Amino acid sequence: MFRFDAEKSVEFCDGMRRRDFLHAGSLALLGLSLRDLAVLKAAGRVDTARDVNCIMLMLVGGPSHIDTWDMKPDAPAEIRGPFKAIPTNVSGIQISEVFPRMARHADKYALLRSVYHPGAGVHDVGHQYMQTGRFFQFGNEQPHIGCVLSKLKGPKGDAPPHVLLPRPIGNTGGNLPHGQNAGFLGKTYDPFVLNADPSDPDFQVPDLVSPDYLPPLRVDGRSSMRQLVDKAVSHLESVPDARLLDSNFQSAYRMMSSQSTREAFDLSQESDATKERYGRNRFGMSCLLARRMVERDVRFVTVNMFETVFNEITWDIHGSAPFSPISCYRDLVGPMFDHAYSSLLEDLHDRGLLQNTLVLAMGEFGRTPKVNPAGGRDHWTNCWTILMGGGGIKGGQVIGASDEIGGYPRDRPIAPPDVAATIYKALGIDVETPIIGAANRPVPVVDYGHAPIKELF
Amino acid sequence: MLKSRRWPLAAVLLAALTASSGTPRADTPEGPGVLAVLPDAIVLRGQGSHQQLVVEARVGDSYVGSRTKSSTFASSNPNVATVDDAGVVTAVRDGRAFITIRDGARRASTMVEVERASAAYPLTFRNHVMPVLTRVGCNSGPCHGTLAGKNGFKLTLRGYDPEADYLTLTRQATGRRVNPVEPARSLMLLKPTLAVSHGGGKRFATGSPEYQVLAQWIAAGTPAPSDSDPTMTHLEVFPPAARLKAGDEQPLVVRARFSDGHAEDVTRWAKFTTNEGAVATVGDDGVVKVQGTGEAAISAWYLSRLVTARIASPFPAHIDPTVYARAPRANFIDDAVLRKLQELNIEPSALSSDAEFIRRVYLDAAGILPEPDEVRTFLADARPDKRTRLIDALLERPEFVDYWAYKWSDLLLVSSRSLQSNAMWAYYNWIRASVAANKPWDAMTREILTASGNTLSNGAANYYVLHKNPVDVTENAAVTFMGFSITCARCHNHPLERWTQKDYYQMANLFSRVAIKNGSERGDIIVYPARTGEINHPRLNAPLPPRPLDGQPLPLDSAQDRRQYFADWLVSPDNPFFARAVVNRVWKNFMGRGLVESVDDIRDANPPSNPELLAALTRDFVEHRFDVQQLARTIMNSSTYQLTSRPTATNAADLKYHSHYIAKRLPAEVILDAIGQVTGVREVFPGYPGRRALQLPDSSVDSYFLTAFGRPSRVTAADSERQQEPSITQALHVINGDTINRKLTASGGLIQSLVVGGADNRTVVERLYLSALSRRPTDEELRTLMLAMDEATARETAAPVTAAAAPGEGTPRVSAAPRAATDDVAPPVTSPRRRVIEDLAWAILTGREFLFNQ
Repeated sequence: MFRFDAEKSVEFCDGMRRRDFLHAGSLALLGLSLRDLAVLKAAGRVDTARDVNCIMLMLVGGPSHIDTWDMKPDAPAEIRGPFKAIPTNVSGIQISEVFPRMARHADKYALLRSVYHPGAGVHDVGHQYMQTGRFFQFGNEQPHIGCVLSKLKGPKGDAPPHVLLPRPIGNTGGNLPHGQNAGFLGKTYDPFVLNADPSDPDFQVPDLVSPDYLPPLRVDGRSSMRQLVDKAVSHLESVPDARLLDSNFQSAYRMMSSQSTREAFDLSQESDATKERYGRNRFGMSCLLARRMVERDVRFVTVNMFETVFNEITWDIHGSAPFSPISCYRDLVGPMFDHAYSSLLEDLHDRGLLQNTLVLAMGEFGRTPKVNPAGGRDHWTNCWTILMGGGGIKGGQVIGASDEIGGYPRDRPIAPPDVAATIYKALGIDVETPIIGAANRPVPVVDYGHAPIKELF
Repeated sequence: MLKSRRWPLAAVLLAALTASSGTPRADTPEGPGVLAVLPDAIVLRGQGSHQQLVVEARVGDSYVGSRTKSSTFASSNPNVATVDDAGVVTAVRDGRAFITIRDGARRASTMVEVERASAAYPLTFRNHVMPVLTRVGCNSGPCHGTLAGKNGFKLTLRGYDPEADYLTLTRQATGRRVNPVEPARSLMLLKPTLAVSHGGGKRFATGSPEYQVLAQWIAAGTPAPSDSDPTMTHLEVFPPAARLKAGDEQPLVVRARFSDGHAEDVTRWAKFTTNEGAVATVGDDGVVKVQGTGEAAISAWYLSRLVTARIASPFPAHIDPTVYARAPRANFIDDAVLRKLQELNIEPSALSSDAEFIRRVYLDAAGILPEPDEVRTFLADARPDKRTRLIDALLERPEFVDYWAYKWSDLLLVSSRSLQSNAMWAYYNWIRASVAANKPWDAMTREILTASGNTLSNGAANYYVLHKNPVDVTENAAVTFMGFSITCARCHNHPLERWTQKDYYQMANLFSRVAIKNGSERGDIIVYPARTGEINHPRLNAPLPPRPLDGQPLPLDSAQDRRQYFADWLVSPDNPFFARAVVNRVWKNFMGRGLVESVDDIRDANPPSNPELLAALTRDFVEHRFDVQQLARTIMNSSTYQLTSRPTATNAADLKYHSHYIAKRLPAEVILDAIGQVTGVREVFPGYPGRRALQLPDSSVDSYFLTAFGRPSRVTAADSERQQEPSITQALHVINGDTINRKLTASGGLIQSLVVGGADNRTVVERLYLSALSRRPTDEELRTLMLAMDEATARETAAPVTAAAAPGEGTPRVSAAPRAATDDVAPPVTSPRRRVIEDLAWAILTGREFLFNQ
């Protein structure tokens, strides 16, 4: 009945490959019927022809804009901090000396120096704003932009459309959701979470490959038997978690059967030199993995640079334990970012992928203009800088400006929904595209009143 | 007939049509029911005082639809009070007037009393100006309420400090914000009306009610907030409840009553929110729009008080009343549940079968599967009270103690991440001993909160090692023992909550006299009461008399032990929060969701799905002296708990009102133990030989399976730390990972014995079903699975030898992902027979019937 080939792909007797079979079912499974998609496409809301991927680097902890990408060399010492500004390959744009490699690529990214958010100065709130474009209210969890993309465009091949590396953001003090899942869209659209450290010397995606004693024929046989057993509980279809369990099995089989998906996760195919260039650390290897994924059908990759802000050296430079000192930007965090980010831009550029890969680097807020008594800086939501490059974004420019001490936007304030609108536009999704929100009401992917930053296109 | 107690005749005059009939029912062309007008007994005090009337159709005790829009209004004496087309009554002159309301053939009337109509009611900063600033958003987080203010003008967030805001408005900016001589030239009127440029845009129009309140207050000379200001005594919403259907609109009206006896229509100044947007949404104007079926609570917030209107939208099905009358009832739980189901037109499912029940109750009460013999015995038992007997027997089992010790260890955050191993053990052992002794919940809580001494000898004292400062204790104690968070009040009065920053710091000061020091060995810490110590309220920069939330304050100089004082208040039978919180948690354990969901989010704006039931359960729990075991017994004995998980034709959409048992994915630890139990190959945890997952004291024991299946990390007191949802990671792990696969290939255990014993296909299927699913397979299942086994045997017999690991090759390849080391693994046996049995066992152990309790 079955034929087994070397690629571990199985053909049914009618010649249809299992992968196709599962794929045909997967759109419906993802809740978006082909007809819905056709309607959105016809209305010009979703540009299915536009094949732009996105890598979102979440700089967890909140980089100090004044010590990184919005230097204030002329401000008094208690404002300007310990680092010097250096020129970049774009005249007129200066960044911090802690990023010497980035300085050679300023033509590839734009600096948005007037981002602010209106919520509380809590990490979790900023995570929500930046990754969903909204603040969560009234028990309503908003979807991450990558999850909206999963919903609107579905998987490209066998790979999950949205992958999160290496692990979700954990405790950052607020005990609030971090905006890294599908929220009200439902868990079907949650990202696939790696849950492993890619810098681990013998890193593999946990359980993606069957053990040798389970050849595909047997895996298939088990799956068929499981379906027979499951017939007894068809009434569980009314329970959302039970439905989800089934769709997860289907997604898992699809990932397993795909050569390309397995390669996407396989860092052993990268040379030592490449790994060195990115930095053999969790963030560097996650960025390298992100590049392999967008090369192999993953639409959206979210990379968390850190998992928590406690007892780990991060961007969260309050100056005293359990947080980080300002000097870590020079000693550890800065170089870690500089190498991974620059390598990612270089590789994407050299492979001709930068045009269709949007690369974002953003923290959840900036930091206080004034250095605090502990020699650090505290949370500051009123103004900070984020970076956007690739995916059709015009690099080599500065958008907006902060005041002379980096306290508030002086020019062109940019709110998180403006950032979200810009991302959606780059991905070919109209900002008014409706998704079904609470109360089964269609809501636009971005709140009304916000628009893409037009200078970037 | 009408209950005059609840429906005073002054408020409701029946339409002539129905006045003569015995039942208040009339199906007029305008719809069913009689006409009712709210609020009753309207007293308007002061010049221009007004009140919006709410006209409702009423059937029985329920308001079933707003008729305000279709009604006409007439005043018996427009010289006393006028009424406009929209139903707004306005005071003119002292006296009384009747307002008559007509809606087609239906009629109702209400009386209005006007007092002091010639005198303007004095506007106060606290009761009038602040609500305007809040309503139009001036003091919101994105605007001037942000910590840094905006453009040099900073208000306290949503007005938590009226005194400070008063000074800001009247004294700062060289007094330009208010101009009592020419009120219209005050910045606080020019800016929001955009007469001069305003970064926040236009907030209201010149001449609008908002404008008038501010202008009048400025013209009156900006009277300061004073202790003699009237305080609000009641906040009411009309209608307080309504029974509507999808598509209906229902305007709400909010009235505030004050200590000086006057009342105001504050609808315009109230903030509205919904707790269940899928059922009903609400606009800023207080108009509710019904979206779906179920119930929603619409909250109106005004002057730091909250009032809730309950909107019910029954399911469209028609259910015969005899269905409810005939439904099985074992105790008071069933009465309350059936009442709610009847209200919402939801049909209850039938009782579960014995096989469904035995598996369910073992898993929910003790986290284990019944052994095949236990299943056989129970199924064969003909005694009518066998379920009650089974429940009683389960409550006596050591596994019951394991399960609940684990559950409370989740709640109390027992973890070697934050405690030394010996201290972690002491804490766990104390919890387990408490559960084993069935220590009442109040006693257990009191022992924790008043714990002193060495943490190794008094395990409960570790609570104060985990929560080292008063702020931590305050926030944790609120969530853990009362089921709600007061964290927001640390920095500001919560906009939609009742607890203020003052409440917060008064409670925190109850924990300012706990001290710790190192004991004789690592992990040994001594917790002891300190004689002095205060925590300051940050804004007042002074300590406040310690006081437990809504309790009485203890004088600052009192020598009484403050923790003792808190514990007395907390565990008192009169405390409405304490028993309710644990009852809700225990209910969730059995029923899959809390009566209030989430169980850490009990607050006025998030009411229970069945308030009557939660109240009755709480009462029963207190009457039984906080006996958790008894509570569990009561729940398990209810017919509600014993309903089947199979929905009827009409109740599948109900996941909230317990019309059927909601299947739930098993907790990580229970799945792992159950797989071990069925296969006979127990998981081995490094450092904890012989312990099942549910017997582990610590949540940081290394186990990839437990992590992937959502074991909580026990870092923050939040029920949501435990992830019950399925994920792709879990699916990959059961397909390819080594947890299940190793147990199937292990030498020893059930698979091995079935192979060695030469069991035939029928025996294999029956045995696995009984072990894993606690039931016999149906004939159809037997037939199809035996057939599938034959096919698999043919496939495996023909399979090339290389497809399986050759004998002697050693352990199967495992991925490098971190995971718990398990027992030694036998090389995969390559006999086709064994592989087929393994495959069938795999199919059963990964199916939804196994992974879910249903």
